[in-house]
Amino acid sequence: MKKLSLIMAASLMLGTNAGMAAVVDDMLKEFGGAGNAQDGAAMWKKEFVDPASGEKRSCVTCHGADLKTAGKHATTGKPIEPLAPSVNKQRLTDRQEIEKWFKRNCKWTVGRECTAQEKANFLVFIRGQ
Amino acid sequence: MKKLTSVILVSMVLGAGGAVWADSDSAGRSVGGKRLDVAPVTLDKYKQECGSCHFAYQPGLLPARSWEKMMATLDDHFGENAELDAQVAKDLTAYLVEHAADKSDYKRSAGINKSIAAGEAPLRITETAYFKRKHNELPKRAVEDNPKVKSFSKCETCHVNADKGSYNEHEVRIPGFGRWED
Amino acid sequence: MSTQRIKVWDPLVRVFHWSLALGFVTLYLTEDDYLGLHVAVGYFILALLLVRIVWGFAGSRHARFADFVKRPTEILAYFKDVIRSRARRYLGHNPAGGAMVIALMASVALTGVLGLLVYGTQEFSGPFAGLAFQVSDATAHRIEEAHEWVANFTLVLVGLHLLGVLLASLQHRENLVRSMFTGYKTAAEVSQQVAVKGDGDEKVKSHHGGIVDAGY
Repeated sequence: MKKLSLIMAASLMLGTNAGMAAVVDDMLKEFGGAGNAQDGAAMWKKEFVDPASGEKRSCVTCHGADLKTAGKHATTGKPIEPLAPSVNKQRLTDRQEIEKWFKRNCKWTVGRECTAQEKANFLVFIRGQ
Repeated sequence: MKKLTSVILVSMVLGAGGAVWADSDSAGRSVGGKRLDVAPVTLDKYKQECGSCHFAYQPGLLPARSWEKMMATLDDHFGENAELDAQVAKDLTAYLVEHAADKSDYKRSAGINKSIAAGEAPLRITETAYFKRKHNELPKRAVEDNPKVKSFSKCETCHVNADKGSYNEHEVRIPGFGRWED
Repeated sequence: MSTQRIKVWDPLVRVFHWSLALGFVTLYLTEDDYLGLHVAVGYFILALLLVRIVWGFAGSRHARFADFVKRPTEILAYFKDVIRSRARRYLGHNPAGGAMVIALMASVALTGVLGLLVYGTQEFSGPFAGLAFQVSDATAHRIEEAHEWVANFTLVLVGLHLLGVLLASLQHRENLVRSMFTGYKTAAEVSQQVAVKGDGDEKVKSHHGGIVDAGY
């Protein structure tokens, strides 16, 4: 724990995650408190069946199991930049982007919009990557 | 006699010029020697929003009515949800419509637009008669059955300068096949 | 010996010739990479051909088809003379040159008409745009190949034409290319050449006759 906070302090000093911290904190507050990283990780891997096509879909389908590496769009094959903020400093810095992708990807993968709690879980999970 | 000759010479030039002018699609931009096939994408927002999932197709590849239909059905965008913020969607629609195939005099835009019946608004460029005619010679093993290509929808895979608006046949490099000129 | 300069090629013939040459080179180089330019020049060449055909009936003496379109037997006989280096000099087109004029015009015209068909069936444009929806992809492709084939055939004809000009220029020691720019040829060489070949006086006369009423 001490080690983690040291790393966090270091990165804050470098100014790399300052933007991310504020954006995510704001969103978490609106989602009603804390997210659970473990629940987020579990849902990340969970497969949902698309009723129209019958295919199994999960976050892993496009982003892969390792958030620190690039993913690949399931249909177009276009590379997706790593989601982990530790390797991609752009991630979790733009609230509009986060909301847009939550909406699109929850609908495509789960078949509905994610709940506030689910989104909070994802945010905390991804932030830790 | 000299007078008659000059009258004929002048009318010759005027006649040819008139033919070119009357056939407006042979005039326009490309006469200036532009080699581009469609106008390149100029809006960064469009590149960001649409180009994050797929090739940022130039607006000049479909007519305005197709783009309007496309932008109105983003919740089911070829089976995927591609919904946008309302203001962003509005801005992008305006951009697409303004630079659509039916408002461009670039070679491919003109061809695609003329190959679509007035009452139709195709959403897939690959379904236009123009596209089909231009890709008709390609065997299945070069595209659909080619594991490195798979689909005609990925322009940039074979048209290496597609992102610049160039779809010249001499620039085609099919992965696993190389050059393709017929 | 007089070296009288005679006007042989009228301005229309010369403008036509060099416009066609320049146009063909442009068309051959641009292909559909510069479609707008290619089509514009194509229309221009077709218009040029129409004018030249009219001029072939209404033009000055050596511009007329009647002046240089000869029967095949005559053309063949001329070729035999060329091989034996004793071909007569003609002020206008010689029989082989006349045949080449017709071949080139026909080949260019066919290329142009096929080009319009390609423009219609491949680009859905031009006067034959409606055809695009009536032909299959394969047929459209075949039309395109025919257009390219005839264009290449025209290029072969151009090569033969240049060889012919070179050969005739050497055999009669005159600069035919320059004549196509200036319009003038030297009359003296006619008499000289005809005299050397020992042709009858009649021919010499008829040539001089031609010189006198060349249409100017």
